[in-house]
Amino acid sequence: MRYILSNLKPYRLQVLLAYIFTFTEIAAELLFPFFLSIMINQGIIPEDTSLLYFWGSVMLGTTILAFFSGIMNSYFAAHISTALGHDIRENLFTKIQEFSFDMLTLYPVSMIVTRFTNDIRVVQNTILMGLRIMVKAPVMVIGSVFMSFIINWKLSLIFLVTVPILILFLGWVLKIGSRLFTQVQERVDTVNRVIQENIGGMRIIKAFVRRDFEADRFDQSNRDLATKSQTAFRFVEASMPVLLLFMNASLLFIIWVGNKQAIAGTTTVGDVVAIVNYALRAVMMISMFTFISLAVSRAKASGERISMIMHEKTIPVAQTSNNANHIQQGSLHFDSVDFSFPNSSLPILQNIQFQLHPEETIAIMGATGAGKTTLFQLIPRLYSPDAGTIYIDDTPIQQFDVKALRDGIGYVSQNPLLFTGSIADNIRFGKEKASLDEVIIAAKTAQIHDSILAFPDQYDSIVGQKGVNLSGGQKQRISIARALVRHPKLLMFDDSTSALDVQTESKLLDALKEYNASTLIITQKISTAQRADRILLLDKGKIEGVGTHEELLRISALYRQIVSSQSQEEVGHA
Amino acid sequence: MPNTRIKEPFQYRRIPLETLQNHQKKRAEDTWGTVKRLTKYLLQYKWMLVLIISMVILSSAMALLGPYLIGMAIDDFIVSKETAGLLQLIGWLIIIYILHSVSIFLQNFWMVGVAQKTVFTLRKELFEQFHQLPISFFDSRQQGELMSRVTNDIDNINNTLNDSVIQIFTSIITLIGTVGVMLYLSPLLTLITMVIIPLLFIGMRWITKRTGPLYKLQQDDLGELNGYVEEIVSGQLLVKTYSQEEKVIQEFKEKNDQLQLSFFWAQNIAGFIPKVMNSLNFLSFMLIALFGGLLAIKGVITVGVIVIFTEYARQFTRPLNELSNQFNILLSAVAGGERVFNILDEEQEEVDETNATVLTHTNGQLSFRHVSFAYGDKPVLFDLSFHAEPGEMVAFVGHTGAGKTTIVNLISRFYEYNQGHILLDGHELNQITRSSLRSHIAFVLQDTFLFKGTVRENIRYGKLSASDEEVIQASERANAHEFIERLPHGYDTMLDQDGSSISQGQKQLLTIARAMISEPSILILDEATSNIDTITEFHIQEGLQRLMEGRTSFVIAHRLNTIQRADKIIMLQNGRILEKGNHQTLMRKQGAYFELYRGLEKEET
Repeated sequence: MRYILSNLKPYRLQVLLAYIFTFTEIAAELLFPFFLSIMINQGIIPEDTSLLYFWGSVMLGTTILAFFSGIMNSYFAAHISTALGHDIRENLFTKIQEFSFDMLTLYPVSMIVTRFTNDIRVVQNTILMGLRIMVKAPVMVIGSVFMSFIINWKLSLIFLVTVPILILFLGWVLKIGSRLFTQVQERVDTVNRVIQENIGGMRIIKAFVRRDFEADRFDQSNRDLATKSQTAFRFVEASMPVLLLFMNASLLFIIWVGNKQAIAGTTTVGDVVAIVNYALRAVMMISMFTFISLAVSRAKASGERISMIMHEKTIPVAQTSNNANHIQQGSLHFDSVDFSFPNSSLPILQNIQFQLHPEETIAIMGATGAGKTTLFQLIPRLYSPDAGTIYIDDTPIQQFDVKALRDGIGYVSQNPLLFTGSIADNIRFGKEKASLDEVIIAAKTAQIHDSILAFPDQYDSIVGQKGVNLSGGQKQRISIARALVRHPKLLMFDDSTSALDVQTESKLLDALKEYNASTLIITQKISTAQRADRILLLDKGKIEGVGTHEELLRISALYRQIVSSQSQEEVGHA
Repeated sequence: MPNTRIKEPFQYRRIPLETLQNHQKKRAEDTWGTVKRLTKYLLQYKWMLVLIISMVILSSAMALLGPYLIGMAIDDFIVSKETAGLLQLIGWLIIIYILHSVSIFLQNFWMVGVAQKTVFTLRKELFEQFHQLPISFFDSRQQGELMSRVTNDIDNINNTLNDSVIQIFTSIITLIGTVGVMLYLSPLLTLITMVIIPLLFIGMRWITKRTGPLYKLQQDDLGELNGYVEEIVSGQLLVKTYSQEEKVIQEFKEKNDQLQLSFFWAQNIAGFIPKVMNSLNFLSFMLIALFGGLLAIKGVITVGVIVIFTEYARQFTRPLNELSNQFNILLSAVAGGERVFNILDEEQEEVDETNATVLTHTNGQLSFRHVSFAYGDKPVLFDLSFHAEPGEMVAFVGHTGAGKTTIVNLISRFYEYNQGHILLDGHELNQITRSSLRSHIAFVLQDTFLFKGTVRENIRYGKLSASDEEVIQASERANAHEFIERLPHGYDTMLDQDGSSISQGQKQLLTIARAMISEPSILILDEATSNIDTITEFHIQEGLQRLMEGRTSFVIAHRLNTIQRADKIIMLQNGRILEKGNHQTLMRKQGAYFELYRGLEKEET
């Protein structure tokens, strides 16, 4: 909540203005009965029509003033709340961009999306209400109590009992309510996650005809959410009739004491009427309180969930400074590198030691889970090694500016992920200012140019969220083009040619030679690996051997086994 | 400059009314239709609603009766300074107040129940609808945008049902009650008070003409922004390795600014509603005071009537105010409802033919006869004919985009073929129910979908009734057992939604184990083995071979060994069959396959 309020700071002057306009409205409302009493006492009873016209026009003037204030309040409230929502969304998004890679595993995508869809919305709406109707209720209650005391303090003493009790009661409702709504939100997250899994995995679900199974799974979380929401909403809604009962009871007290005082002659009818009138106004406004407490407790829960993200420690998005080192040659040196994932004692990489010379190509092979992808992810500093140093151009990578480091790398991930947008835009993701010619050259090298030309809109063809209307091989090649357009000094392919047919892959590897970049290729195929200068074989996080095909055949039993398994198949079926 | 952050007020670019109306036209809005449909959901709880409305009537009546009795009390016990009967009156008031609170409590209690049940049903229907939509629906939409309908829009409906329904009924009943009493007291003064009605009508018309489309615009902008967030957050690896943080933040800002604009205008103009109401309220107060005063001087009415009238006029405008307050909540709920209904109205996967056969058993004999297919108006397959005998292995080869994946999509009926016949054991494929067809097919697809759950649960997905032993057996055959055992909690290791805690190859192994356990008659492999290291792959090949025995299998693969082993090879080019036959006959032909094979051979040796 504090975080939300701190975001409100730049707008404090405007908040003040919004409140001034609201108070003008409220003042008008409190003044009207007063005007009426003057009209009755000095106009109607002495039968003075001119005075009626005079106060009538005063009322008309007040009405116009109130209207103007109302419109201005609406304007400022809309401005402040939308600007605040805008700022929080922007801060949150920027913050998430600053997250280190391993932090993202703590926040599933569905959870982050709910922060944007749900929580910010709740906060924004609450602020909007806070600037419009929320203040009106308490101010009217306080104003009414205040006026009552001025008129007859003895009659108004009852308010000293009821109002503090009401405040305590509301505080309690708020506390329990916000806890209940936090629980509701957790259920919302679960429901969203299940739905997201279903949307994402629809093909497999259909393939295995698991509709009923998924429906059961969803039904459970959906029911759970409905039950929790029901409890939370019922709890908060139940507070209103309790509040009403309290305030109405004080009316009875006023009548009772009023009667006694009237008999004793210590009060006038006018006093009692006025106080009853103010009490009625207060009762009416109290009914707003549930609504307010409901909104505030929801907003509090949402605010806390937003600030939880905002309070994660991150480093700001790297800015390239002018003197930042850029990768010049693209040589790479792993010096005794150990790595295990944060919060895990299982070593993923142990004592990794090898060198990649400028313009050299090393193929990395190894069984599933041998640590190939993790090794890749250490290079652009997605993770940091536990021990040892990685050098690029003989400089430890920590000494590079992160952005400058990554700018010099063309990383092609295992999952060829494309963003919604045109093919050209997707390739330009690698280099924002690339000309169409540069894009085409990269596409040609990646062997995707001809396929692109066959699309109706060619380079302007729109691809879906995950490039769904493209085949796996096409996606892989577009993501390769995206890396090539950067003209990196260091190219990294994480099994990125697996979906390509052999001819296409071969043409691609030939074309790559013109890029003069040091290259690391993770591959499963001996044939691909043999085209590299050297091969690095990983086994369970350790280097089994580095060398040429022949060298590895000599030194590594595991390598011989791989080779024979691949050729055996061919021999066996030829 | 639309893309600057607006810190100060009075800088909002105006959205011309025509733009708004065009926007509205673009996606024809059917407010009343949506309201009616939402009402239909509520009407399922007819008796509950009857109870709720009777409680609303009771509470409204008590709310009118309370002040009336207080007025009586003032006349009888304060003006006339009597005490006799005061206790009795207070007793009545206590009863009224308790009834008032109890009826409010009950109406809220029940309404929350109805609202939650309705929202529960909506979510359920939406979920079920997702499962009935064709794959093409998901292929052409953003996940985040779909998610936004489930979260935001349903949430809006939820809030409306919780509060607005009761508020609206209370307001209407109170309105009728107060107007009735006012007419009874002084028809002339009532008429004067009613002068505000046409003003109200004009004001509301001006406002709603704008707010409706603005809310829609706002929801659309919001949906787009959320879609963007989802996509970018899912693609963080890419954003980070390409250090494109600043670019995506910039793009986000543009969308966010766009959203701020529509948000602002929607909130601002909707905010005018209570303000207009309030001012009209003041206006009516002034009219009553002035004209009531003039009438009182003429002796037509008494001062007491004026006092009562001002009180009741307030009572009468307040519900209007409430109604209008609820109105903008209602508008956004209707907009949300419409978006939800849009999905519910999406064309479902064509239902199975009424006399479709339930396939209890299949030999796996499958033939394509002159099959053609187009995605929309983009033709992909042309006049394909081939035949697979039970237990045969058919390999599809050809360049990417030749149509291999499409054939597999047709066999599994993710897409429906437009022309020709596909026959399974002599039955036309589209005369077989989809679920019975798919229950005989196992898939190992390119997208390795795993859900949040244990490894065991993920494997058992292939056969829900499988015992632990069967799970282990299937994993052993898929060579997944060994790596699973090495996971921190073995088969009980929790996997993330996207399986990010294990490697791509391990995911593949799990999906293979999942296919194994389902004991299919037909097997479809779509480039599934391409990400697995050679040694594991070798073992998998063994396992798959075992699995393929006696089962018809359709394989999309690029490996020589897979292709050679196939009983039939179908070579595709641009959606047409170029050559078909087994390895030997095709080699002898020395055609396109021969060329391809030579290329492959050169690669792999």
